[in-house]
Amino acid sequence: MEYIFHIMIIILLYVMLSQSLTLTAGYSNLISLAHAGFYGIGAYTSAIISVDYGITFLETLPIAMLISGILAAFVSVIALRTVDDYFIIITLGIQVLAFSIMNNWMSLTHGPLGIPGIPALTIFGFAFNSKISFLLLTLVLTAIVYLVLRNITKSPFGRVLIALGEDEIFTKSLGKKVYQAKVASFTIGAMFAAIPGVLYAHYISYIDPTSFTIDESIFILSIVIIGGMRNLWGSAIAAAILVILPEVLRFIGMPSNIAANMRQIIYGLALVIMMFKYSKGFVSKKYVGQENK
Amino acid sequence: MQIIINIIITFSIYLLVTLSFAIIYQTTKFFHFAHAAIITFAAYFTFLFFKQLSLPLLLSIPLSIFAATAIGLVCEISIYKPLRIRKVTSLVLLIASLGVYVIFQNIISLFWGDDIKSIRLGVVKTGNDFYGAYITDNQIIIIFISIFLFISALLFLKYTKIGKDMRAVSSDEGLAGIFGINANKTILWSFGIGSALAGIAGILQAFDTDITPMMGFNLLLYGIVAMILSGIDSIWGLIGGSLLLATSQHLGAYYIDSKWMDAIAYIVLILFLIWKPLGFSGKRLKKIEI
Repeated sequence: MEYIFHIMIIILLYVMLSQSLTLTAGYSNLISLAHAGFYGIGAYTSAIISVDYGITFLETLPIAMLISGILAAFVSVIALRTVDDYFIIITLGIQVLAFSIMNNWMSLTHGPLGIPGIPALTIFGFAFNSKISFLLLTLVLTAIVYLVLRNITKSPFGRVLIALGEDEIFTKSLGKKVYQAKVASFTIGAMFAAIPGVLYAHYISYIDPTSFTIDESIFILSIVIIGGMRNLWGSAIAAAILVILPEVLRFIGMPSNIAANMRQIIYGLALVIMMFKYSKGFVSKKYVGQENK
Repeated sequence: MQIIINIIITFSIYLLVTLSFAIIYQTTKFFHFAHAAIITFAAYFTFLFFKQLSLPLLLSIPLSIFAATAIGLVCEISIYKPLRIRKVTSLVLLIASLGVYVIFQNIISLFWGDDIKSIRLGVVKTGNDFYGAYITDNQIIIIFISIFLFISALLFLKYTKIGKDMRAVSSDEGLAGIFGINANKTILWSFGIGSALAGIAGILQAFDTDITPMMGFNLLLYGIVAMILSGIDSIWGLIGGSLLLATSQHLGAYYIDSKWMDAIAYIVLILFLIWKPLGFSGKRLKKIEI
């Protein structure tokens, strides 16, 4: 039973990660390979301040989100000078930089050794030690993230994001502030990516840079793409499937290292197949249909 | 002196990787990430033929280059060409190539494992003394081969029929089509040549350092940075981009610490894009300026 709770917690973490990337990559079409970097920044911020200063969860969460958001706003102001393919290369660079800092800044992050002994989450003195209580907390936070993101995408700001994702020049000609909207979208995505980071750090109680590599970024992006780009529920379902997949492979008797590779091969295949499906571009059919009528 | 030698060695490898990538990029106009896997494949094939099957070295190297080229061609024929026929954007091709890269990298991990492999020849010995700096035989070979291949590629692009076709397709695919140049065939040629060069780069790097499943990706990232620095369109510019990158990385390693070399590559790229957002070539990276 503990095992099932563990899988469910991991699924919920990926649901939050992929839904936050859905806002950035799906709605505003800013395909980012830096998401695991911001996930890592959230985890490291929370780990460092809770281990060294003994600050509790209610304060670490906003601090981690704030730091991730500030860094994201700063880098996106630079990265958004470029578009499309070049933007992906720059976000790849941000990811490499973030990983490099986690791996090399020994005095702050302990480098490849990682940070052990992260205390369990406590809210008003209640410690989330058991898996079931942690699962409930994660579920509540996932629901909050989902509701906030859903409201953002349905708001006028969300419609600006959808519009600029489809036709940037047209949106600009309507007088919308495209650049600011893009920076906002990237920043919000990164802030929400810090939440699962904080939860992950406290849940596993040990973090090291290998959890936040470029492969992880590609994995989160493929969840979003497989989930249908602009579909929050689709991302959730894709996250569940891709997390459960290696467990199923292991269950039918595949050694765990082969199962991990097989999972990656399967999502790589899924990415290629989805690209054939999206060969007309990432604009979802819903909007194209309305245009044709 | 040692730092200058190191810069030249790194520059030679970057030049070769950048050249192999740029040849494909110029005709197709998308970032072919699976190229990283081709570099890695070539190194692992050499390991397979030379170490595991004990073939002679002079046979196993051509075999590996051939196999790596074949993989590059299969990518183009089975994935990119069908996508291109559907008139997809370069972004879609980029993500598809990321998918292909993930598949290939995991196939390598499945077959050979994630640990470090070595195909060094004989014992590790100190290099030749060259004006107070050390350089190994391998590194001399790297420098000569990559400069030789760079010059051959320049001559090839300038004087042969296929090379001229490649330049035509790269500057205007539609117009080239009107003049009877088969774009798909030309792109296939560029994949063949690019993959072969990438294979050679992978093998050279494998003899100089060691083999890991990630080696191709790291090399390719530097290659991409060097290509953007040099201004996408020019082959001569690749020398400048590779040299700038190699120099800044080695100076960074000398004055700060060698572990920050990855980070320095991207800091250079980001600073460059702040300073010159349109790249050296002045090509517009933005959709529109209002």
